[in-house]
Parts: sequence; structure tokens; C-alpha cells
Amino acid sequence: MSSYYFTIIGTRDNPLYELEFSSFKAPASLIPGESHFTAKVKELLPFIANSSLDLVEDSQWLTPNFNLGRIDSFGGIWVNAFVTQGNVKFILCYDNPNSNNSLDNGISSGGSTKYDESSMKHFFNDAYDLYVKALLNPFYGANDPLVSPDFDYKIKIVAKKYL
Amino acid sequence: MGYNIGMRLIEEFLAKTGAQRCESFRETADMISKVGFKMFLNTVPQIENFSSDGTSFSLILTENPLAEFVELPLTQYPKIHKELWYSQLYCGVLRGALQMVQLDTDVYFVRDSIRGDDKTEIRLKLNKVLKDEIPAGED
Amino acid sequence: MRIFSLYILNKAGGLVFQKDVNPGIAKLTANDYLVLAGTLHSVHAIATNLKPAECRSLNETAQTVNGQILSSGKASTPNVNNLGLQHVDTDYFSLYVFQTLTGIKFVLVTSPVAKQDHSHESPLSTKGELRKQYELVEEYFKQLYVLYCDYVMKDPFYSTDMPIKSTLFEAKIKSVCEA
Repeated sequence: MSSYYFTIIGTRDNPLYELEFSSFKAPASLIPGESHFTAKVKELLPFIANSSLDLVEDSQWLTPNFNLGRIDSFGGIWVNAFVTQGNVKFILCYDNPNSNNSLDNGISSGGSTKYDESSMKHFFNDAYDLYVKALLNPFYGANDPLVSPDFDYKIKIVAKKYL
Repeated sequence: MGYNIGMRLIEEFLAKTGAQRCESFRETADMISKVGFKMFLNTVPQIENFSSDGTSFSLILTENPLAEFVELPLTQYPKIHKELWYSQLYCGVLRGALQMVQLDTDVYFVRDSIRGDDKTEIRLKLNKVLKDEIPAGED
Repeated sequence: MRIFSLYILNKAGGLVFQKDVNPGIAKLTANDYLVLAGTLHSVHAIATNLKPAECRSLNETAQTVNGQILSSGKASTPNVNNLGLQHVDTDYFSLYVFQTLTGIKFVLVTSPVAKQDHSHESPLSTKGELRKQYELVEEYFKQLYVLYCDYVMKDPFYSTDMPIKSTLFEAKIKSVCEA
């Protein structure tokens, strides 16, 4: 069962939003959507996300797409990224279900990975949509933390829909 | 706020619809919601709670184009949720526009859904028809 | 029909705009224009009192207009000048008065209604001609009023009831009125 860590990082590399959850498609755990990262990994997640920012900045010029796909991996945690027009980064870290938590074992081209890629792309697109709507709120300034409970709720709905 | 916008906007309303002076405040209510709001904001608020003497009513906005993406910020100042009427502009515009057709009114917000209320309600109260100021020449 | 000039009067009868859009009419002094505007305003107001002693509303349709707008969504004429001075016709010019619900008056001076031969002129046909021109002018007024609200009322540097100085408005007026 895969767990996810989603974070939005502003233009000054400042965190705006973070959320941990697990796939809702997996057999129901005690609490649906509860993440299953080990305590040790949990501590590391923000660092993994932030350390991938350099790679995001490198790869964003190599593709015309906003969705950069998988750009990094660290200790069995894979990192997908999406960069908006305004240079805000969406980072999604998740434990690779195929790798059995081993260290990076290269890009596997299994069918499930492919499926994940497209659902992550949809997740990013919908999250981008929600982010733009949040940005349209006159009380929200660019690079402010996204503290709105409504935004949080909607991101969770999107997460449940695709991941 | 919005009073001067209303004073100017009424000209456009009259020029583009050709509306004539209303016989009753009920007719005014219909013209505001079904013609005015429709024309400028593409939404038709409902008219509710007409007082028995026919001098006040409520406009219920089912959608509010001014506040479509607005969320009031979460702050430690409770004042924001108690004192800020985000769409107060409507009140001024309505009052200004009605003033120009010689209707002296009070317009105020009762509820606003972005504050967490169940609906958005604007109350219009007619104080007086300024008969002396109606320009000569009409029937 | 040729439009000579346009006057716009505010609620109080003050001249806020005067423009000769086509040549062919003698110029007056600036003061005379103000006097003319004031006089027209007063005559218009007095004329509203000239009616039969027991005058009921002549224009029953005015009451149903709003109902029609509500039901069909179709615009009608914004002219509410029903009782006052509507037009003046002379051998040299015709003058038309249009009034809005907010009390603004638009006055157009045009060439006179085409004259038929005097010897066998039937009063009926003259009346028809007058009517035709009146309806044509009504269309112009509608357009001018729309220009007024778009280019004058929406100009943030314009203060209401003051003289209109907008060159953009003048240019638009010219393009509508130039025959």
C-alpha cells in the first residue's frame, strides 16, 4: 500500500502546504487515507522534497510540460514534480510499491508504475486548478502559506479520486 | 461605498433597457433582480420577505460573482468575521442607482454566505419617493 | 435629414455639452447657448402643465413597458418625454427634445422636414413626414444616450452635472451623426 507526501513549495523555496496520506484504493486500513511512512522516513520527507528542488529546476527547462514526471528517488522514496507557470513547485513523494523499500533500483517500467504516472499527472493538474482558485482569493497573497481548511479538504478529495 | 458607481450605472441601465418609472416598489424589485442583476452580473437573485406595507424586501443571491473565490482569512481578529461585509459594494450601487430615479432607500447586508451564513441576503428599504425631484415631462 | 447640432442639458437645465456636428447652422455666442438651454428647459417644464383640466394619463403604455421588458427581455425606448415640449418645427430647422428618467435632456437640431409644394400640400402627408423624422431622431437619441453612458458616465475623470470635455465622446458623437 503506497503512502504519499504532497507538498507545495513557493517561489522562494518556502513551504506553502503539506499533506501526508496513503492510497485510498488499497484495502481499507483502520483509518482510510492514513499514511504508513515509518517514523524515520516521516522526519526525512521534507528534506527529500526540498533536496529535489535543484533537480526540478534543472529538468523544468528540458520539457514544455508542467508535469515533470519522476525526477528523483531517495531510499525507496520516489519523487514526482510539477511546476506551475508562476514557478511554484508541487512535489509528491511516495514509497515505491515495487521496490520493497530497497534503495534506488532504477526506473522500472512495470505496468502499475505507468498507471501511477498518469493518475499523478491528473492529481497534479487538479491540484494546480485548486491552487489557482486559492490564488484568486483577494485575501491570499502569493507565497503565503495555504492554511484554508477548504483548500485542504478539496486537495484531499482530489487525492482520494486519483491516488 | 459604491454609491457613485450606482449613480453612473443607472444611466447605462436606462439606456440599454428603456425601463420606465415603476408603479410600485414590487415592480422596482423585479426590475432590479430580473433586469439589472441579470444585465450586469448575469445572475438573478430571488426576491423574498416583502414587508406587508410593500416598502422593504430582501434579495437572496444564490451566486455572488464578487465573492466567487473569496474566503475570509483565518485570523486571531474576530472582527473580520463580525464586521466585514465583503460585498458591501452592492449596497452602495443599489442605493446610488435608486437615488437617481428619485427613490430614497436604505440598503444593507443581513447575511453573507462567505461568513458561513446559509445564504447571502441584502435588504432594501424604501424610505421615500422623492416626488418633488421627479423631472417634469413624464406621465 | 441632416443633424446640425447636439445639446446635452443636466437635471437643472444647465448646458453640459454643445457640439455642431455638421456645418450648416450659424454659430451663437457661448452665452447664447447657455440661455437657449435654460429657456428650452423652462419651456419644456411649463409645457408639461399645458393640458386639459381633467387630464388622465395619456400614455397608458408607459405602465406596461416594464412588464414587457420583464417578460420578453426586449429593450424599449429610454425616452420619457411624454408631456413636455417634444419638438419644434420651423422652415429652417427642426428641434427635438429627449429626456431620460434621471432628468438629463438631449436636444438635437436638424434640417427641417422636407417641404412639399405649398400649393397642393395636404396636411395629412406633412404629418406623416413629421412622424417619420421624429422616429428617425428617436433612433439617434437612443444611440447618443448609449454613447453618453459609455464615454461620459464611465469616465472616472468626469464629475456628474459638469461640462463634458471628453474628446473621445466628441469623436464618437461625430461618427454617429455625420451623414
